[in-house]
Amino acid sequence: MESSELERFEAVVLPHLDAAYTLARYLTRNDHDAQDVVQDASLRALRYFAGFRGAGSGEGRAWFLAIVRNTAYTWQQRHRTDTLSTEFDEERHSETVADEHPEAALQAQSQRAALRRAIDELPPEFREVIVLRELEGLSYKEISDVAGVPVGTVMSRLSRARRRLEDALCAEPEDC
Amino acid sequence: MTHPGFEAQIDAYLDGELAAPDAVELEEHLQACPDCSRLERRRRAVRVAVREHLPRFPAPDMLRARVRAQARAETRQTDRRRAPSWTALAVAASLAVVAFGSWQMALRGAAGEAITNQVLASHVRSLMPGHLTDVVSSDQHTVKPWFNGKLDFSPPVYDFAGGGFPLVGGRLEYVDGRPVAALAYSRRQHIINVFLWPAGRGRTVGPRAATRQGYHLLHWATPAYTYWVASDLGLPELNDFAALLRRGDSAAAATVR
Repeated sequence: MESSELERFEAVVLPHLDAAYTLARYLTRNDHDAQDVVQDASLRALRYFAGFRGAGSGEGRAWFLAIVRNTAYTWQQRHRTDTLSTEFDEERHSETVADEHPEAALQAQSQRAALRRAIDELPPEFREVIVLRELEGLSYKEISDVAGVPVGTVMSRLSRARRRLEDALCAEPEDC
Repeated sequence: MTHPGFEAQIDAYLDGELAAPDAVELEEHLQACPDCSRLERRRRAVRVAVREHLPRFPAPDMLRARVRAQARAETRQTDRRRAPSWTALAVAASLAVVAFGSWQMALRGAAGEAITNQVLASHVRSLMPGHLTDVVSSDQHTVKPWFNGKLDFSPPVYDFAGGGFPLVGGRLEYVDGRPVAALAYSRRQHIINVFLWPAGRGRTVGPRAATRQGYHLLHWATPAYTYWVASDLGLPELNDFAALLRRGDSAAAATVR
């Protein structure tokens, strides 16, 4: 890669590091692996960058996120982490509820805990469409580019993923 | 019961991804079908809850710094293949000095240049995955004792978190033919490496700055230690950092006296 390419790379890829790390974090479900995945993906992106001809920021994001996603899946196969149970994450799983909390705050807290557990338990192909759509705001077409599946599949996966999250939130009937 | 064909359509509709004629048809159905309209309301609630409760994770500064360093290192490899290498230029420069007369100066210059290159190489290597620290701690009282038994001196370690330069950790390096202490500090997404070892002749050298391949290097020597500092941080901020270090050292020296 030449210096002018480096500038283009920094302009196209670096603005999407937060999106990349968020996706990797949800796919690997821990910080350490997510960092390794993003760094590995960045190196791949550098090597393939000459072949990337997109101009817009959105294209750069979808292109980079596709590499991050594929890197995360390869990583998981190699390290077999997905077959293991989710490791206990202090920050995410210990939602302590104090007695003096008002009703609304208490409910929000238990909702948050239920949702975070539910997203971790989703199969990765459901988890990634939720992250890409709800947290990163990608269109169905962009998600189909990132995940390498037709738009129709994106639509049905998203719907099924939301149904599962809904079930988790509606564990208690009065919530819904 | 919800009409099965409509469930995915309701989601696409809420995402604004349904083609206009389909959206109109769905809206009509929602008016007529209480089950589907209840589903639509629940899905709206799920979307709100997801956005409210599932966080985005900003990329850690350290990751950002490493990705950058990696891109630069990769670029340099290519540039090196095209352009005359830096070492070759350095050799050419010292030969030029020789041609102008002073052997002594040339030797000293070449030695200085060799150390500069070693410090730069160590800095760049430290930014690659897993190389930055052998002991990870922001606590100076953890990092300093870690060097016991690994070096024949106990390097001064400071925590400048208050000054905006938190300590990241330490590791061993090999520079100028001897094991030296390397301390990593951070500033936003930038990493600063400090290399130090006991000063040979106890001569004081004022701070000198050099820029190599986009990295700034500072060098000075106190009567006790030879210092090198390397970072991609801007020179003014790096000078602030160096001032903190020098102040720390002179305060320590004053206490000993």
